[in-house]
Amino acid sequence: MVTGTSVLGIKYKDGIMMAADTLASYGSLARFRDVQRIVPVGEHTLLGASGEMSDFAYIQEQLDKLLVADHLAADGHTAGPHFIWQYLSRLMYARRSRVNPLWNSLIVGGFRDGKRFLGFVDLQGTTYEASTIATGFGAYLGQPLLRKAVEGKEDTLTKEEAHKLLVDTLRVLYYRDARSLDKIQIATADASGVSVSEPFKLDSDWSFGADIRGYGAL
Amino acid sequence: MEYNGSAVMAMKGDGCVAIAADRRFGVQALTLGTEFQKIFQMNKYTFVGLAGLASDVITLSDQLRYKVKMYELREERPISPETFAHLASSSLYEKRFGPWFVEPIIAGLDPKTGEPFIASTDLIGCINFAKDFVVSGTANSQMYGMCESLWEPNLGPEDLFETISQAMLNAIDRDCIAGWGAVVHVITKDKIVTKHLKGRMD
Amino acid sequence: MLSAAGPTHAGPVRIPMEHGFSPYTDNGGTTLAIAGDDYVIVAGDTRQSEGYSINTRYCPKVFKLDNNCVLATGGMAADGQNLVRRLKQSIEQYHHVHAKTMSPSALAQLLSVVLYGKRHFPYFVWNTLGGLDADGSGWVYSYDPVGNVEKRKWACAGSAGHLIMPFLDAKIGHHHQSQIDAKTEGKPGSVPFDTAMKYTKDAFTSATERDIYTGDLLEIFVIRKSGVTVEQIPLKRD
Repeated sequence: MVTGTSVLGIKYKDGIMMAADTLASYGSLARFRDVQRIVPVGEHTLLGASGEMSDFAYIQEQLDKLLVADHLAADGHTAGPHFIWQYLSRLMYARRSRVNPLWNSLIVGGFRDGKRFLGFVDLQGTTYEASTIATGFGAYLGQPLLRKAVEGKEDTLTKEEAHKLLVDTLRVLYYRDARSLDKIQIATADASGVSVSEPFKLDSDWSFGADIRGYGAL
Repeated sequence: MEYNGSAVMAMKGDGCVAIAADRRFGVQALTLGTEFQKIFQMNKYTFVGLAGLASDVITLSDQLRYKVKMYELREERPISPETFAHLASSSLYEKRFGPWFVEPIIAGLDPKTGEPFIASTDLIGCINFAKDFVVSGTANSQMYGMCESLWEPNLGPEDLFETISQAMLNAIDRDCIAGWGAVVHVITKDKIVTKHLKGRMD
Repeated sequence: MLSAAGPTHAGPVRIPMEHGFSPYTDNGGTTLAIAGDDYVIVAGDTRQSEGYSINTRYCPKVFKLDNNCVLATGGMAADGQNLVRRLKQSIEQYHHVHAKTMSPSALAQLLSVVLYGKRHFPYFVWNTLGGLDADGSGWVYSYDPVGNVEKRKWACAGSAGHLIMPFLDAKIGHHHQSQIDAKTEGKPGSVPFDTAMKYTKDAFTSATERDIYTGDLLEIFVIRKSGVTVEQIPLKRD
C-alpha cells in the first residue's frame, strides 16, 4: 500500500484553503516525495486525499469521466463542490457495501456562487461537513489547533491568517507524524477559482536535538 | 463481572447518605435466590455494597469485616468511611494481577463530624470520591441515567429515600440479571432506616 | 503481501483471508421519542464521533419525512443517511402510485421490511420513527437494526439509550409511582406536551454528562397535525 498522510481543510473569510504534504509512503519508506495529494476538480472544487494513492488515482479518473460528460452535454451546468462530494460519497459507500473499499479519506472543498463548501468522505462512506476538517494524524494533532483558530471566526479569518494556520499546523504534524514530509502544498478555492500552489519547503527547528543522541549529528 | 448480575448505588443527601442494592442471586439466566445480601454494615456509620461475582462478594465482605475489626481493636476507635474506602482500595490492589471481581460502593457518615461520605472503587481499587452519587453493577448505564436525572443536592432523608428508590427500581427493571426487589438503607446521625422495595419480581 | 502457510499448489488457490476492513463503524449519538395524545416529540443530538474523536459538532441524525413523520437514526451515520435517502424515494414513489400520502403505519411497515431485506448485511442503524395515527394520536415505532418493530408511546436509542430508557419508563410510563399529578404528568403513556419537552431536555442534559458521545447540540422535532417544527438547544461540548 502506497499511502499519503494527513490532509487539512479550513473555511476562511473568502473561501476554502486546504493543505497537505507531498509524500506517498510505502510503509515506513518515504517512497515518492513529489506527489500532489490535492487536485483541482473542474473550476470550483478541490479534492484532497489521504490513504491509498492508487485508489486516489482511480477516483481522479472517475471524476475526469464525470467532467468530460458534463463538457459534452454543454448545457451550461458544471459540477460544483457539493455535487462532487455527493458523487464521491455515493461511490465510496457503494464500494464499502461490496466490502471492497477505496482506501481513502477525502476532503472536498470549493467555492461557488458566493458560497463556501467543505466536506469529508471516507472509505466507509461516512460523510460530514464542518468548517475545519483533518484526516489521519491531522485529526488528532491538527484539528484542535484548527478548531481553536477557526471556530466562530469563519467569516473574519483572512487569507494570510488561514495560510499561516495551515503552515503552522503542518509543521506540528511534521514534527510529530512519523510518516510526514516537510515539502507541502497549499490550495485555495475562492471567487477567482481554484489553485494549488507549487510545493515548497516547510521550515522547522531541530536545534533542540543538537546535544541529544539520536537526533542529527550526535 | 456479568456472571451473577447486580445493581448497587449510593447517594449523598443533606446530613445523610443512602445506599441501595438489588436482591437477586442468579447464575447467568437462572435465578437461584431472591434475598441475597449485597450491602454489609462495617460499623455503626459505615456501609459497603459489593457488586460483581457473588462468590467474591461473600469472601470480600468477610475479609473486609475482619480487617475493620482488627483496625478497631488496634486503633480503639471506629473506622471512618473515608479510611474504609482506602482500606477497600488497598485490599483490592493487593490482587492487582488476579483481581477480586467486585466493584464496591462505600457509604457512611464520618464518626466524628457526621459529614456524609460516598465513594466507589473499580475492581483493582481505583477510588472515585463522588460528590453526588455512585453506581456499580451490571445495570451501570441504567443507574447512571436515572441518578443523573433524578438526583439533586441537599435532599433530606425522606426525599433521598424516594429518589434512590425510584432510581434503583426503574434502573433494574431494564436489566435482565439484576432485580427481584431492592434493599435501601438511609443513614442519618440518629438512626438507620432500612426498607425493602418490591419491584418487578422477574 | 498476501501469503499463507499451507500446502503448495501449482495455480491460484482460495485460502481464508482475514480482512482488516470492517464495513461498519459507530458514529455515536443518542435519540429519543415521546408520543402524546396529539403530538410526537422526536429528538437527537448532532455530534458525529469516530473512536475518541469528534468528526463534527453538527451532523443531523433526525430527519423530517414528507408524510408528517420524523425518523431518528442512531448508530452508523453513513448507513443512516443512505437508509433515509431510500425511504424518501419510497415515500415519493408511493405518492405517485397511490395518489395519497403514505400513512405512518404504512411507512413503519415498509421500514421494517427494508431493514430485514438486508438481514445478512444489516444497516447498522437503530431507528425510531414518530408519526400521528389516523385519529390524531401520537405513536412511536422503535426498531432494531434488522427490522423488529414495536409500536409504543416512548423509546430511545443510541449510545446513551440505556441511560435514558429507565428515566422515560419512570416519567412517561409512571412505573413505580402511585401518586401522579394528572395536570402536569397526565396518565401513564400520555403526558402533557410541556412536561414531555421538559423531560426530553432533562434526559439529554443527563445523557451529555455521562456519555462521551452525546453533546454539542440537541435538535427536537415536534409533530402535530398542523405539521413539523424544529427547536435547537445547545448542549455541553466536552
